[in-house]
Amino acid sequence: MAKVTDMVLWDKPGEKVLLLGNQAIARGALEANIAVYAAYPGTPSSELTDTMAVVAKRAGVYMEYSTNEKVAFETALAAAWSGLRAMTAMKHVGLNVAADTFLSSVGMGVEGGFVIMVADDPSMWSSQNEQDTRVYAKFANVPVLEPSDPHEAKEMTKYAFELSEKFKHFVILRTTTRTSHARGDVILGELPEEIKQAKRKFGKFNKDPSRFVDVPSNARRFHPIVLEKIEKIREELNACPFNWIEGDENAKVGIIAPGLSYAYVKEALHWLGVENVKILKLGTPFPVPYGLLEKFMDGLEKVLIVEELEPVVEEQVKTWAYDRGLRIPIHGKDLVPRVYEMTTRRAVTAIAKFLGLETPLNYEKLDEKYKKALEIVPPRPPSLCPACPHRNSFFAIKKATHSKGIYPSDIGCYTLGLLPPLNAVDTTVAMGGSIGIAHGLEIAQHGSLSEEQRKKEKKIVVATIGDSTFYHTGLPALANAIYNRSNVLVVVLDNLVTAMTGDQPNPSTGQTPHGMGKRIPIEDVAKAMGADFVAVVDPYDIKATYETIKKALEVEGVSVVVSRQVCALYRIGQMRKRGEKWPIYYVDEEACTGCRLCVNAYGCPAIFWDEEKKQARVEPTMCWGCGGCAQICPFGAFKPVEEGEE
Amino acid sequence: MKEYNIVITGVGGQGVLTAANILGWAALHAGHKVRMGEVHGMSQRFGSVVSYVRFGEEVYGSMVPEGKGDVILAFEPVEALRYINYLKEGGMVVVNTKPIVPVQVSMGKARYPELEEIKRIVEEDFKGKWIGFNAEELAMKAGHVVTTNTVLIGALTQVPEFPLDAEHVREVIRLSVPPKAVDMNMKAFDLGIEAAKKILGL
Repeated sequence: MAKVTDMVLWDKPGEKVLLLGNQAIARGALEANIAVYAAYPGTPSSELTDTMAVVAKRAGVYMEYSTNEKVAFETALAAAWSGLRAMTAMKHVGLNVAADTFLSSVGMGVEGGFVIMVADDPSMWSSQNEQDTRVYAKFANVPVLEPSDPHEAKEMTKYAFELSEKFKHFVILRTTTRTSHARGDVILGELPEEIKQAKRKFGKFNKDPSRFVDVPSNARRFHPIVLEKIEKIREELNACPFNWIEGDENAKVGIIAPGLSYAYVKEALHWLGVENVKILKLGTPFPVPYGLLEKFMDGLEKVLIVEELEPVVEEQVKTWAYDRGLRIPIHGKDLVPRVYEMTTRRAVTAIAKFLGLETPLNYEKLDEKYKKALEIVPPRPPSLCPACPHRNSFFAIKKATHSKGIYPSDIGCYTLGLLPPLNAVDTTVAMGGSIGIAHGLEIAQHGSLSEEQRKKEKKIVVATIGDSTFYHTGLPALANAIYNRSNVLVVVLDNLVTAMTGDQPNPSTGQTPHGMGKRIPIEDVAKAMGADFVAVVDPYDIKATYETIKKALEVEGVSVVVSRQVCALYRIGQMRKRGEKWPIYYVDEEACTGCRLCVNAYGCPAIFWDEEKKQARVEPTMCWGCGGCAQICPFGAFKPVEEGEE
Repeated sequence: MKEYNIVITGVGGQGVLTAANILGWAALHAGHKVRMGEVHGMSQRFGSVVSYVRFGEEVYGSMVPEGKGDVILAFEPVEALRYINYLKEGGMVVVNTKPIVPVQVSMGKARYPELEEIKRIVEEDFKGKWIGFNAEELAMKAGHVVTTNTVLIGALTQVPEFPLDAEHVREVIRLSVPPKAVDMNMKAFDLGIEAAKKILGL
């Protein structure tokens, strides 16, 4: 079977392939003749960037993993100003990082098509909050396109570039987890000659300070222009191929289904066996095209809007209806939950209630027996991988602080350090937030003391942050802590890749997908900024890590310990590819006293408790051979198997 | 066939996504409309994972609705129970009976249920049918623990009225594993078929 990334580049128009929503968007961007792509990874948007990374060179597209979303946004925006088709992608919270540039530059518009792909994560499968990008779009007066399946996602991407170019305005392509991470059949379209020939496209920036400098005198002109543009786009969207009316045209009841909710609504109606309804399928939740809405509303006696998260469409429809003097019941968030993701069950329940029908399944009964079944199911939250270097770093930090510190942490795999038995994460807010919070906590704990007294206080706040996150937004916070003479320890968990989102490179990796990056060692940055103590340790040496952390805690001021060891998942993946073996550990039953330190304080997922023998046990198929268990066991019970094999 | 819904459950790292992909491609090759849903990122790391494969003439969303699953293919016993709300009455649970005990259980903070308890809930409370066997053991017999998912897919093809041709599925596996692992996976696939046939009395 061909590699998916190859399929994304296939010159086979009409071929049907199974693609992830994100991969389909990458294909759409190529079909649209994109020239520049820049993004920072974030679940559920990452595979779009990863796909672009693999195909870029072969398609003549400039692609980069930027250090954060704001920088990525600026890179792509500048290319679009230069007349090129450009794209950036991020997760919903990534748009918060890029928001400053986004909201300030929207009035300037673009020359080449500029598409901002934002992947929302309703139900927060891998995110710190649940926010609806459509609200941002409304705030910024930028149109949103929202696909209902992977094929449409590809088609919409092409359309998004065209719309953006036509109005010289930004366009947001909004997905959710269930579009980005859905696979479906996608029919390939034509690729432009330049993409097929891998021909790099170049742009030209025409200077115009009255447009590209946002001093108040210019910005004052922009706002009304943006408002005018969005209303023109609202008109245009009446003819948008992703908006349509379907179903029974004489029906008295109507359902409005934006984006992915359309799929759930169709399924629900099918399941309920209901046919006498009119459906408004909306690919553009903002702005809602009023012409099409008027046509849809004609003859209806009541309407239901089935949309995920915020009532973005509902508010537009209700405002429109009120202004027109239309007095029919318009339901929405009174029947459809405002939190968590849409499901067929939610659509079916809302529609059944709206139409006065029974649900096709007795959910109350189902919930009751399911609740009973769950009573015997033990929890299984995600955990740090076997051989994860972060586990050792957390173990050393806890030991050096006698578990009495305060441990602000950050966004990444290491947030899982919050779980027992490590319990080494007390706060996590947003990318780069650990250092800022650490500084604030230190001020709060010791702030009432005089500076003299404060200096004498021992460090109790230990921040942890990953390498990618450090370069993302950790830098300004570290500068702030050092500048303001904070007294904290910052442990940078440097595993040399952006592990959580799928091993993307960053400045600590040095390598880029094209091989020509320059590595920036974190310790050099910390030293240059003036940290009071800087050291590098290998967390696979737990004793040395512990001792260095202990020393760092004694130093007055900001200490930075870089705990560096390559991500275990990444390392094992590479070793498997090369056919290499690694040592497997086992428990020497003679030596194991059953003290449970390994399960109660270390928590490697490959170590189990044997209830009958009252001893620890290593599952050989899960051991990735770091030897951490051998180092923490006071009785030397963990030993490597002589002939180590996978 | 209007739609066929498979819910694949297990622990991150067991190959749940790979199995889903194989089934998705097999369905696409068989001419069906296909929708699959999965979750990436932090939630994958050794935690509980679930993936959906839906195909047929009329499929819509990427998630199988609760109570609509024709089959739950479980790589681990308690993971079958964690998603049992997706099973339709009379649906089939194909399960690898080798447990992976969560850390909370090792720490003594939770209990791991008996296999018989899980089976009883599936059969009595949810009116499901049960094909349970140690797939990991068979995978070892085939040559490597990583073929556990192939063993399970083999078993899945024997579920009564399973709409995809076993040989069709086998071909997709042949094309999707590294060349040197083909023989091992073909053996694993056969062992899975045998195991299911034996249980079903075929």
